[in-house]
Amino acid sequence: MNTDAALPRRALWWLIGCQFYVILPHLTRVPLWVLAIYLGAALWRLQMHRERALMPPRWLRLLLGLAAGGAVIASYQTLIGLDPMVALLLVASALKLIESVRAKDGYVLVSLGFFIMTTQFLYNQELPVALYSVVGTLLLVVSLIALNQRPSGSISRREPLLALRMLGLAIPMMIVLFLLFPRIAPLWSVPSKNTQATTGMSDVLRPGDVTRLGRSAEVAFRVQFEDQIPPQRELYWRGMVLNEFADGAWRTLGWSDHPATERKLDKPIAVGESLKYRIIIEPTMQHWLYAMPYAQSPTAGVFEAWDFRLAVRKPLESTFAYDVVTWPESSLQPELSPWRREAELALPSNLNPLTREWVERQVNAVGNGPELITRVLSYFREQPFYYTLQPPKIDDDDFVDEFIFQSLRGFCEHYAYSFVVMMRMAGIPARIIGGYQGGELNTLNNTLIVRQFDAHAWVEVWLEDRGWVRVDPTAAVAPERVEQGLEEALRGQEGFLADSLLSAYRFRSVTMVNWLRLRYDAAAWQWQSFIVGFNSDEQIDLLESWFGEIKVSWFVAVLLGSWVVVLAPLIWWMNRSRSSSERLPVEQQFAELCRALARRGIERAVGESAISLLVRAESELPAGDPQLVTLRRLADELYTGD
Amino acid sequence: MNALIDRTIANIGDVLLGKELEIRQALCCMLAGGHLLLEDLPGMGKTTLAHALATTLGMSFGRVQFTSDLLPSDILGVSIFNSESAQFVFQPGPIFNQVLLADEINRATPRTQSALLEAMAESQVSIDGETRPLPSPFFVIATQNPIYQSGTYALPESQLDRFLMRLSLGYPNAQAERQLLLRGEQRGNVSLPASMSADELTAIRAAVAEVTLSDSLLAYIQRLTAFTRNAPEFAMGLSPRGALALVAAARTWAMMAGRHYVVPDDVQAVIEPVVAHRLVPSADYAGDGAALVAMMQRSVDVIPD
Repeated sequence: MNTDAALPRRALWWLIGCQFYVILPHLTRVPLWVLAIYLGAALWRLQMHRERALMPPRWLRLLLGLAAGGAVIASYQTLIGLDPMVALLLVASALKLIESVRAKDGYVLVSLGFFIMTTQFLYNQELPVALYSVVGTLLLVVSLIALNQRPSGSISRREPLLALRMLGLAIPMMIVLFLLFPRIAPLWSVPSKNTQATTGMSDVLRPGDVTRLGRSAEVAFRVQFEDQIPPQRELYWRGMVLNEFADGAWRTLGWSDHPATERKLDKPIAVGESLKYRIIIEPTMQHWLYAMPYAQSPTAGVFEAWDFRLAVRKPLESTFAYDVVTWPESSLQPELSPWRREAELALPSNLNPLTREWVERQVNAVGNGPELITRVLSYFREQPFYYTLQPPKIDDDDFVDEFIFQSLRGFCEHYAYSFVVMMRMAGIPARIIGGYQGGELNTLNNTLIVRQFDAHAWVEVWLEDRGWVRVDPTAAVAPERVEQGLEEALRGQEGFLADSLLSAYRFRSVTMVNWLRLRYDAAAWQWQSFIVGFNSDEQIDLLESWFGEIKVSWFVAVLLGSWVVVLAPLIWWMNRSRSSSERLPVEQQFAELCRALARRGIERAVGESAISLLVRAESELPAGDPQLVTLRRLADELYTGD
Repeated sequence: MNALIDRTIANIGDVLLGKELEIRQALCCMLAGGHLLLEDLPGMGKTTLAHALATTLGMSFGRVQFTSDLLPSDILGVSIFNSESAQFVFQPGPIFNQVLLADEINRATPRTQSALLEAMAESQVSIDGETRPLPSPFFVIATQNPIYQSGTYALPESQLDRFLMRLSLGYPNAQAERQLLLRGEQRGNVSLPASMSADELTAIRAAVAEVTLSDSLLAYIQRLTAFTRNAPEFAMGLSPRGALALVAAARTWAMMAGRHYVVPDDVQAVIEPVVAHRLVPSADYAGDGAALVAMMQRSVDVIPD
């Protein structure tokens, strides 16, 4: 293939089309001027194609490249990080288009296209992205074919079909590589994405934080139960534990804030029936995982934190699958150390005087046992509290006073916040738990889809002998929230899903949309579970189930062996179609004789006939040489036709 | 029979010095019964070769100098009213010779060119509603200057295809040129004895028909043909007529070498003059027909890979 040849004209159109296709999903992540550069480059190149413009001279191209690099730095203030790198890649590929006049430039563009398409997966690995990439791969292969096409263009309309066939042929190889290629840990790590870009719970809770999540229908995680799915009101997905109050916000007490004697894990005793399920969580950029307490996970890399959460060592930058076993009847930390008791009771003494007074009255009446909790919950139930996504903003330091005596309008975190403060005032250790509650059941594959608007905050109080017990003050105000989900609780209110205007979830009352949506979610589960979730552990499990115990040497042997298994028939087939079987018997004899003569220094050139070879051989070999005799006989047989 | 051929070649070699191979190829073309196109710059001996071929084969010879105002009737002939007999009498044109030398064929208009080329294909002409057969054997030897000279009408591919061979003579080598210069200008009084009679020509053509083609050789020619149809450097592959021409020329060449069977060397000896003018290189390939033929010979082996 002559790569110095001119870029075929049809290939140019395909290349430009491909470029736009691969940058399209990135457009939301890069500044708008990147698109402007793309359009400009494509226009310029088309004008060159129409002989209306010339290729910019080398110095101008160099200048353009430097300017574009500078613009990327100016836009992001840095070159380090995923976003600026992607932007730089896009700009480079756009500018490359201007100087693409040779076939070899076309190959560079196609390679860049493949690379840019792969970068999509750094942001998102869901099913639609994969499907989009399949189409993109097809287009890029078509471009490659167009690059190799004859100018007379006799294969023009069959290019996409040919590309499809080629991709079809590559599928066995793809499956083998997917199953067998070692999942090597990255040698370097791509600089993380911006944390704020992710929707989800954070480890600092201020009134209003959870409320915002009610506006989003993004999937937080999916759960597949092994057996029966517990009733909706039991589905409390415990995420973070917020036990330290300061500056109007609740935070998690850090490990480093613990004195050395307290740095231990009071592992609960597993009792009663267990629940088994698998969770696939979307990237959260956080360490902790969600599960129902008390949870243990057999998945490698998941550990139990001191507050009975599940967590991972590195922030979740991509989809992650983990298995969980939950013992709902286990009691958490039935004995509380004095230090911890103090920590879980800590509260600024000067805030919320009205509440403190009210709580003291109640304690005087019923003491500070379970009776008090009932008392407070019935206060929430009986007063005209109102559950809403649009609570009035409370800036007062005495948040609780303001909330429970004045505004009475709030979302779950308002109730949880107030309840914990009241408990601590009464001397009951209490803390806010952040997580999700409920989820949408997809009966097609027995999975539960938990979305951002399922975010919830509730409370754990510590009771003598029983340990930490879940109390949900929101349930007292709006029992339908935990029974039927948020949407039911907020029926007729504005603000719900305000940020997800086009989400299919919004339109699920349309039967057709809902039917499609649930099927899509089932497919997405399969995708996340079996394709994206196929990590090195899964791989080794699978291979062990096929081949028994796996050793590394074994693994390499299987990998190489599979290449042979796939490639050998392919090579055989390709050689077969080149067909030495077309040789006549006498031609086969002649070819063998030529090999023998070549070993003796008489090489036959391409196109040299037996006759000319014979003339040369006669001058170099002795007259009676048996091979010379054979050659003479073959030369006769080949051409006399007798 | 071979002595006869060698004698003929030597005969022509007396007037066209140092062009042994080209004379042999031209004779091969005539013996194969094909028309010949000589393409070269002016003054390279095209007309001399054409004239020598005609006289040495003992055939009647006519010559037309093609110009841009030449009309078909100038070649074919015209009916003239005879006042004495009071009827039209056909005056045959130069085409009614066994060998017609069409000098500088690409200077004539396409209309006139096609009148000639039609006659070449049909071996007969129709004038005033009457079909008149051309003499047999009938050969056209056309010469043309390379088409990049101004004031020419290039022959289209379909008409180039009618010529069995296209030859270029090229400059003579130093030794031949020295001899040529010594001899001085003798044009016009070159008188060659006929070295071959009509019967002998018929016998030779019968012998050509006896030459056999082996399976291996046919497969070689088919691979050559297939290569021109598949390789990206070719805009158009070789037509079946082109392949037939190659076989006919190779057969004649084998006979001239005194063999009753064709070997690949025969094919390779005639492939360039037979095939080069029939090939069209693709738009992004810089070489011409000759380069394409060289590529064919480099790429296609005498036995399948």
